[in-house]
This record gives sequence, C-alpha cells and structure tokens, in this order.
Amino acid sequence: MSEVTLTNVVKAYGATPVIHGIDLAIRSGEFVVFVGPSGCGKSTLLRMIAGLEEISGGQIAIGGTVVNDLPPRARDIAMVFQDYALYPHKTVFENMAFGLRLRKRPDHEIRARVGEAASILQIEHLLQRKPRELSGGQRQRVAMGRAIVRQPKAFLFDEPLSNLDALLRAEMRVEIKKLHQKLGNTIVYVTHDQVEAMTLADRIVVLQSGNLVQYDTPDGIYNRPAAQFVAGFTGSPPMNFLPCRIGEGGRTIHLAGGVDLPVPARRVAECARHVGRDVVFGLRPEHVGVARAGDPSQAAVGGRVMLVEPLGSDTLALVRLGAGDGAGEMTGRFAPDAGLAVGQALPIGLALDHFHLFDKTTGAAIRGADW
Amino acid sequence: MPFGLSKRATVWIAGLIVAVNGFFPAVWILLTSLKTETELIRSPITYLPEAATLDNYATAFTAQPILRFMWNSFVVASLSTALCVLVSALAAYALTRLRMPHRNLIMSVLLAVAMFPLISLMVPLFKVMRELGLLNTYLALILPYAVLSMPVCTLVMASFFQDIPPDLEAAAMVDGCSRVGALFRVIIPLSAPGVFTAAILAFVNAWDEFLLALTMMNRVNMRTLSVGITLYQGEFAFPWPLISAALIIAIVPICILIAVFQERVVGGLTQGGVKG
Repeated sequence: MSEVTLTNVVKAYGATPVIHGIDLAIRSGEFVVFVGPSGCGKSTLLRMIAGLEEISGGQIAIGGTVVNDLPPRARDIAMVFQDYALYPHKTVFENMAFGLRLRKRPDHEIRARVGEAASILQIEHLLQRKPRELSGGQRQRVAMGRAIVRQPKAFLFDEPLSNLDALLRAEMRVEIKKLHQKLGNTIVYVTHDQVEAMTLADRIVVLQSGNLVQYDTPDGIYNRPAAQFVAGFTGSPPMNFLPCRIGEGGRTIHLAGGVDLPVPARRVAECARHVGRDVVFGLRPEHVGVARAGDPSQAAVGGRVMLVEPLGSDTLALVRLGAGDGAGEMTGRFAPDAGLAVGQALPIGLALDHFHLFDKTTGAAIRGADW
Repeated sequence: MPFGLSKRATVWIAGLIVAVNGFFPAVWILLTSLKTETELIRSPITYLPEAATLDNYATAFTAQPILRFMWNSFVVASLSTALCVLVSALAAYALTRLRMPHRNLIMSVLLAVAMFPLISLMVPLFKVMRELGLLNTYLALILPYAVLSMPVCTLVMASFFQDIPPDLEAAAMVDGCSRVGALFRVIIPLSAPGVFTAAILAFVNAWDEFLLALTMMNRVNMRTLSVGITLYQGEFAFPWPLISAALIIAIVPICILIAVFQERVVGGLTQGGVKG
C-alpha cells in the first residue's frame, strides 16, 4: 500500500498560482516521471508531495493516509536531490544512517541496513569517506543509498542525474531502473530530460505552466500525444508541425506551399468533421523519408533537401515540401547511406497513417474515435 | 602605489602599523606589570624591567578577590553568549530561510539597533532591572549583554547560513528532522565557523563591558573583572604595576579562548556536500 494520490492540488505564491489543480493517482510500486520544461512546476509538485512545500488547496495522500498537514518526516518518503544534498560533515556511512539514527533504530539494525544498501549500490568501499572525497556518480549513489536504507513507502527523485555527464547519466539511468525492478517501491521522479522520462517511466506526467497536460504510458505520450506541446516535447528531433486546412469531404489536407496530402481512408470520417478549419498538422521525423514507389502507406511529395545532419546510425535532413517560398519544412530521418546533399531534389514519402492534428488555438489534439 | 612601493611592501607596512598599534599597549602593560612602582616612576624611563618581578601578580590575587571577579565575568559572559547565540541562530535562520515580508527592512533595523550608544540605554535598563529586583544578580548583566550582541551575531550567522544549500536542510527534514532539528543537526554544524565567530564576539563584548557592569552590580562580590580592576586604585594612589598585572590576568582567558577556537573559525566545511 504505497500509492500516491493527488486530488485537485493547488499551489499559489501570494496571488500568483503556480500549480492549477492537479489530479493524479500513482499506483503502488509504479514508476512515474514528472516531465516538462523549466518552470512548469514539476519540482514544486514533487516538493509538495514530500511536504517541503505547503499546498494551497486540494489533498495529497500517501499509502491511503492524507498527509496535507504532516511534516516531511512523518510522510514515510525518501528523497534524492539534484545536488545530492549529502551532509558534508558526516561520512558516507553516517549520511546513510542518519535517518535511522533519528528514528532510534538499534545499532546492529543500522549497520545491517546500511551494509545491504551499500552492497546493492556497490559503494561498500566508500562508507568511511566524506562526500568531498567522492566523484559525482559516487555521491549520487550515496544519495540513493541514504534513501534506500529508510525503506520508505515512496521514493522521490528530483532531477537526480542532471549534474552528471552524458555517459554517467546513461549508466545511472540503468542503475535506477534496475533498482526499481529489485525493490519494487513507488517512485516519483522529476526530470526535464524526455529520454529519462521515456526510458524509466511506467507512466509519464507531462506538465506545462502548472497544468497536467497528459498522464499516460511512454507509448501513449509518444504515439498519442494529447496536445501539440506534448508532441513537441517528446522525441528527438521533435514532431514536425505545419499549419494546414482540411479539404472538401475530409479527404485532403492542404499544407502551405500548395502541397495537398490525401487522407487515408480510415481517417476520412474524422477529418470530414473539421472541413475548412485551420489546424496544425504533425508528423514525426521517422515518418518522413525517401518515397518508395508503390508503397500505399506513403504519400509522395516533391521536396528539396535544405540541411543534412549525419548521426552515424541514420541521417537527419531538413526538407522543403513542394515549391515556392511559402512551402513548409520538415525534418526527416533517412538511412545513413541515402546520399543526401543540400539542394538535392527528392521525392519525399510521408507515412500519413501516423499524422496528428492539433487545434491551432488551444493546441489540443484533434482525435477520432479510431486514432 | 604610494611612494612607489610595491603592493607587497605596502601591505607589509600597513600590517606593521596595525600590529604595533594593537600590540604596543598590551606589551607596555605586560612590561609595566613586571616592574616595581619605584622603577615605574624613575627618570629616565626604563622600557624593559631592570629586575623583573612577579610580586604584582601575587598582590593582585590578595589585594582584591580577583578570582571572584573572574568567576563573575565568566558566568555572565558564558551564559549571555549562550543565550545570544541561541536566539541569534534562530533569528538568522528565520531571516535567511523563511519566506517573510520586509526581510531587508528587518536586517536594516537590526544593523541600526547595533549602532545604539549604550549610554542612552543605561537609565531605562537600570530602572527595568531595579523594578524586576535583578540588581546585583547575574541576570542583570546576562540579559542586556545577550541582547546587545544579538544584532551583530544575527548578521554574522545569517551570512553563513545563506551559503548552506537549502536542499541539505530539506534532506534532513525528509530524513526525520523537524525544522528546528535540521537547524541544530545540519545547518549549525556546517556553519561552525560563523557560530564560533559570533560566539567569540559576544563573549569578548561581555567580558570587556564596563558601564553596565558598574551600574547593575554594586556589591563587591558581584563585580565583574572589568569593574573589579578599578578597585585596585586607592583614593590618592594609582598602583600601575598592580593594575597592569590585574589587566594581564583579565586578558589571559580571552587569549586562551581565541587560541582554542580559532581553528574552528575556518571555512571549507561545506565542501563536497553538494555538486561541484
């Protein structure tokens, strides 16, 4: 029983609201990641769960107990901070034992639990060192160890990897995922890195300006984004967006630059409900490539290569669709041996089974019942 | 650089002037305490004692109850320092960590209070202590000393607390501390240099204070050292060597205090606790 439930949680600093009524149910043992750009309120929300920030309205429950008025120490949670927050005047052992000592656990139990956590994180040889004698990765392991020994109902991670270099971050990401698989505790994890969110989470909470935009599995977030913001935030490079208008009968999408795309039969009915409406057309780069002759899943459009970015495993290219100055541009993912060159004319294949439409004003996804 | 001196030479000369200015009176008192009265008033003046004697020190202990004065000073200075540091730590914490309106105004008022001339407080303080029946008690000095040192101690500690990353305190609170517990278990240990600096300031202020001590304590056995030393002078006699010996005796505890704690007054304790 370590589910975390937020009901209409609000936070305001004076008259300025920063969190606007969040409803969230995190299941026991689930790994949930809060993701969003800087200033979206993800860390504030986490700190409200921890009790480090007071909530201005709503209710937070951990393990079925409403914790609104409980101080952090009474919430049975452990937290790992972005800057590690190790006590510099204590050894690694004492850092990890601190919470247990405060709870007056017997010495033999403290030694056993610290030893076990140190063994899981492979930091047994560091126990007598002070934090200043450790590398960044080792400090982060100690910070996680300090959380593990407490055996709390839920772990809270506040951008724990953002101070590490790219290689170490990837390594620690794997460690955290293994740790979750081993311990099975509820984890709430904050990051601004969508790769971390996608790779770690059972479910992702996407936040924007203090609002919950989407709460879904990584697959749902990536393939069925609820808003243009979500679609643009996930994926690297992100989804391409172009303004468009739905044509007569919902059978055609008119892009800028005189490019007309045929709507696949299974999506015509939905598009027909938005005929004449200005909307935003979205397509991920992996659905933009070189047109293959006779492939019914693709719509072929004439294009021109504007920029080439070889990545080794594949090549990204910015292509201009159609002709003329008003033509729209999209980033596509091409095979590394596609032999692209700037200025090259190219038939571009758009996998239209995967396109998305968004409301031009609200950014909300326009979805049919079947897609 | 003035007079074409190098930066290093200028610093050395400035340092020398400060050192001589600071140390000369103390050295002169030490030398005087080792002379006899006859030698002191002899002309021409002698700088180093011709026949150094410790008789003045022996007399200092018998002519007046200097150990009692010292004990009184120790009790008053220690307890006022403890009270001052405790309250100042809480005030500094509130000023640096809590979201409170008009924080800068409060800091400015604190600074202004620290500049109050003590003489303007004497009469009201005396009346208050008399009404409370605290004259000739340690409390009559402990309370005002603690309050008078509070502004400076608060500002000193606040500047140290500001450098402690707030996440350390948050970690302590999640680990099981209350807010006050996090202050005493994490913030204060990490601000040890600031706390010791504030404590030394408060202790020395209380140890040296004269006006309040003279006003609040008129019984001989309640006199503090700074006032007690004046009792060595007679109506028509100023036994300078004896008074100098008593002064040296009064300085010694302060020197020991600073020597013991100066190692704690060093930075770098927070190194490594957070990123970097």
